[in-house]
Amino acid sequence: MKKMSDKVIFKERFKIKGGDFINGGDASIRIGDILKEVGIDPDIILRITIAAYEAEMNVVIYAHRGTMDFCITTDKVLIKVEDEGCGIEDIELAMKEGYSTASEEIREMGFGAGMGLPNIKDNADVFHISSQIGKGTELDIHVDLPDKK
Amino acid sequence: MTETSKSHSVKIDEENCIGCVICMKACSTKAIRVKNRKAVINYTRCIDCGECLRVCPHNAVVPILTKTSDLKKFKYKVAIPSPVLHSQFGQHKMPNEILSALKDIGFDYVYDPTVICEMTSLVIEEYLDENNLKEPIISSACPVVVRLIQRLFPGLCNQIIPIEPPREIAAKNLREEISRKDNIPKEDIGIFHITPCAAKMVSINYPASLERSYLDGAISIREIYNSIMMKLKKSEPMSLFQVQSRISGIGLGWAVPGGELRGVSHHFASVAGVYDTIKILKDVEAGKLKNIKYLQCRICPDGCLGGPLTVENRFVAKSNIIMLVRMYHGKKSVNPNTIKNLYKEGFFSFENKVEPKPFPPLDKERSLALKKLKEKEKMIKRLPGIDCGVCGAPDCKTFADDIARGLAKLNDCHFINKKRKRNINHEKKKSHPA
Repeated sequence: MKKMSDKVIFKERFKIKGGDFINGGDASIRIGDILKEVGIDPDIILRITIAAYEAEMNVVIYAHRGTMDFCITTDKVLIKVEDEGCGIEDIELAMKEGYSTASEEIREMGFGAGMGLPNIKDNADVFHISSQIGKGTELDIHVDLPDKK
Repeated sequence: MTETSKSHSVKIDEENCIGCVICMKACSTKAIRVKNRKAVINYTRCIDCGECLRVCPHNAVVPILTKTSDLKKFKYKVAIPSPVLHSQFGQHKMPNEILSALKDIGFDYVYDPTVICEMTSLVIEEYLDENNLKEPIISSACPVVVRLIQRLFPGLCNQIIPIEPPREIAAKNLREEISRKDNIPKEDIGIFHITPCAAKMVSINYPASLERSYLDGAISIREIYNSIMMKLKKSEPMSLFQVQSRISGIGLGWAVPGGELRGVSHHFASVAGVYDTIKILKDVEAGKLKNIKYLQCRICPDGCLGGPLTVENRFVAKSNIIMLVRMYHGKKSVNPNTIKNLYKEGFFSFENKVEPKPFPPLDKERSLALKKLKEKEKMIKRLPGIDCGVCGAPDCKTFADDIARGLAKLNDCHFINKKRKRNINHEKKKSHPA
């Protein structure tokens, strides 16, 4: 699925703990910091951090544990999130805005509004999702980095 | 593109500076280094938050503002004091007394902007009602927050509310009115903001959202505090009536964090202090802040009441201003329809968009920047990580950044240098046993 011709220049792996709302989001904030140091366009950074945050929080809210692999290639940012958890039964349904299986408690905390996955899709140039029930979910997020003018 | 002290609000007085690391440690954007026992400000990274000014124990950080002696340049001198001024002289001095005393020290006219503040509250609410833009919408009142966003959170520039802060609107309005009423050429009128912070001077000299500021300068509360105090001490009942400005309770509330909105119809968050502001803006950037429509950030602790150029203890000042807000509360001094029309005409709007001005990346070339980033990460692991500041950088991470940018050498690290010297001595001993 991924073109291997893209040369990976920077790579970092983040571990995400399911149910850890205290540290949830830290990885995405770190990703934002890295991208700023590299001089990526502010609007693109915003898209990446938002997509990363939603993906990260999905692991926190729904899964036991997961990893987020963050890669910068010559012309893309790749984020791969893999988790061990319940998986998603109906991906098509999960991609619908407002659809959520989050519990009432989670929603009260301001999460699980059913906007996470659609939000990732909106902010990504390429978005793949696959899931195995009872095993886990895998997200692939690509954001193109256009050459600077 | 190197910036100099000219475009900023503070400079280091080298005579007073002893090269301690206090300001360097306090700097919110890591803009200060200590070189040859003197603090040096890297103005490209400075956002004018004034933390260095606040913490320096040696009076070595000097604010760059308008001096009262500079007023002479103008034939007709006008003062627009920040609402914070009313909190500085105890509980028993009323706003109009303070305004009279302010006029007495050398102004032809003093205008209290609290009514304009109330208008701006209305305009902000109108804007929030109308717009379903990306949330949260961020207040434009604190010039340092605007600068911080341009620098550190450039992707959020579009979320700054495109409404000018009251001080600019007040000046815009006054210049027109005075020149029309009193037939004074506009260029002869000098309008000065009386300010609790040094950053206003920067926003006047280099406005982020205007072609040109409507203000001619900013004078610190500290600069005029003693003169006002002397006048107030002597003040006879007559002078109390010298200025009878309309005071708005809602407008006075602008001095307190969270005071920009009147009603409760918009869910807002209010943050004060530079570190908490940076923290919440990081959350905004990740889309972490849900259901907050309006975000009011002020860079100083307790907002403008905690400005580095105030005199009164900020907790006492807060208590004073809250008393005044209550005293003037309930008197609505603004006609909503007039304001709405003015708003529609664009009277309160930004002239220009706030442009992103991100900090320079590790390298202009993306691949080189990434390489340097890797080097930096490696370097961080080699450094002791205790952030002692002896190398002249505020912490090990920033030191690693400096090395990656070619601004520092690894041997500047006291610990690494010591280890290296020890190793060399060790080698020597080995080869020349005594």
